[in-house]
Amino acid sequence: MYANPVAYVFSCIFVLLAHSAMLANAFFYGNYSDIKDLIILGGAVVALDIVYFIAILFFKQISYAVDFLLILILNMSVIFQSCFGGVHLDIKHYVTCIAALVSCKAGFLICRNYKKLQDKKYIFYIGICILMVMIVLFAGERSMWIKIGSFSVQPSEFIKPLFVLACATSVMDQQKKHKILFVNVVYENIALFAMTAVICLFQWWCRDLGSLPTFVGIYCCGFLLRICYPKAKFSRKKLIFACIILLIFCAVAYKFAPEYVQQRLHVDIWNDKNGDGYQQSRALIGIANGGWFGVGPGKGYLHNIPAYESDIVFSTICEEWGLLYGLMMVCVILIMVAVPLINPPRSYYHATMSTGVCAAFVVQMALNIFGSCNLIPFTGVTIPFVSAGGSSMVVSGFMIGMLIACQSPVFRESASNKKQKEVPAWRWSE
Amino acid sequence: MNSIHLILCAVAAITLDLCTLVLIITAYREKRSANKNWDWVANSMELAEQGMTYALGCDEVLIGRHASADIRLPDLSVSRYHAMMTVSNGRWTIKDLNSKSGIFVNGNPVHEILLHENDVIKIGNRRLIFRKRRDNNVR
Repeated sequence: MYANPVAYVFSCIFVLLAHSAMLANAFFYGNYSDIKDLIILGGAVVALDIVYFIAILFFKQISYAVDFLLILILNMSVIFQSCFGGVHLDIKHYVTCIAALVSCKAGFLICRNYKKLQDKKYIFYIGICILMVMIVLFAGERSMWIKIGSFSVQPSEFIKPLFVLACATSVMDQQKKHKILFVNVVYENIALFAMTAVICLFQWWCRDLGSLPTFVGIYCCGFLLRICYPKAKFSRKKLIFACIILLIFCAVAYKFAPEYVQQRLHVDIWNDKNGDGYQQSRALIGIANGGWFGVGPGKGYLHNIPAYESDIVFSTICEEWGLLYGLMMVCVILIMVAVPLINPPRSYYHATMSTGVCAAFVVQMALNIFGSCNLIPFTGVTIPFVSAGGSSMVVSGFMIGMLIACQSPVFRESASNKKQKEVPAWRWSE
Repeated sequence: MNSIHLILCAVAAITLDLCTLVLIITAYREKRSANKNWDWVANSMELAEQGMTYALGCDEVLIGRHASADIRLPDLSVSRYHAMMTVSNGRWTIKDLNSKSGIFVNGNPVHEILLHENDVIKIGNRRLIFRKRRDNNVR
């Protein structure tokens, strides 16, 4: 149950107020033909808010701040997505948001007890291997998508939380060193490095190079915490060595990148407005057109451009709602991943998990937003919770559940170890 | 764009800002309850030696001579990374990190052992008492 009822009530009221203000904006300046569409959208948003506010009370947590931020950003995204090209409830996105909330709670319940996961860490490696085999067997030619009936699933997204968990669970085994020839090695570190290499090669093979920086980011955070483990053992030499390896990796990747990637790296979007620079040039024009306060919900042009709701969603929001809203959206996601800085995790497992999730979210957001603004090559990476896409939404929800688990950890032994012998208060045999 | 639209957009953005601010304040307030929960997990224990007390603030506490150890014992008889204390379900365990002089708990050499209240831990030449935390104002 919530420890501070006043904070709970105030948080609920302000989240509802924020969504109401957005709906009021859509009411006065939105592009809708029938008021019923807006009423349905408003009803759906408020209903989801209220149901989630009640539902979180049934979960015993220490911190609920991330939950409030999550429902704030999810319903913001429902309003954004429902207003693109005209106000009407985007049912598909609404359902994926509900799925994200459910997977968030599943992530919280699964990940909060680190002792339980520590014993079963091999499952994560097996899970990653199974997902990769599934992609090879069921996806099309060098693709990451599996089509099931009318909808598609991207199994590579599900590798992300498993990879974060593999990083987090193996960080506690840094003391288990084994001597091979003259070098002390930790088997878990070798296994994790091998898994990272396999994932990178697999992403390369599948031509999903957009997700590659996300995995590299997660591994870098995991590696950084490893060389700091325990606190005293931070090694500057190891850090410099790792940076050199990373630079070599980037140089090799740049040299041997496929032709289409090389082309994107050197594309001049203004000279090739109708070719490779089509989406980026339109996205930049959209941001400029929107200004600080936007042209009005549903009144933009970008909804005519392919991938307006996923790859260039930041520009679409900036055009219709204004740069102020776009920046606020980014700010809310950043605050959500920065909550562990306010309430720091109490164990290396939880710290590694938090940094892994933060790295994944920040890298994904940076790739999407900077790609839309032509600061880096354009990628098909989504903004967590805002872009449309079921797999991305469910995985992002699960990863936020992991973040909540880091805020409300459980330090418990297994039932078999619970009963200990009673020992006198003062024992002295020296 | 007319001025009413501008005002409305600004009001909506300010409401969003306020909401975010309230949630940040909520996170800070929740930190207090998280600390309380930690006290329960850690069973409010501390390590004490003559004139000094050491708080046990996270689930892994490194004891050693090195400057950045959680509990630093500047004594040549203590290894740089001497021992690690871990907590689970309110119970603390101490583990030797292959130190030169080892660990003695109540006079017995140990590699890894569950600690109980008022156990005396000998690390090198230093003796630490594992005890319930006491208020600084109480003498």
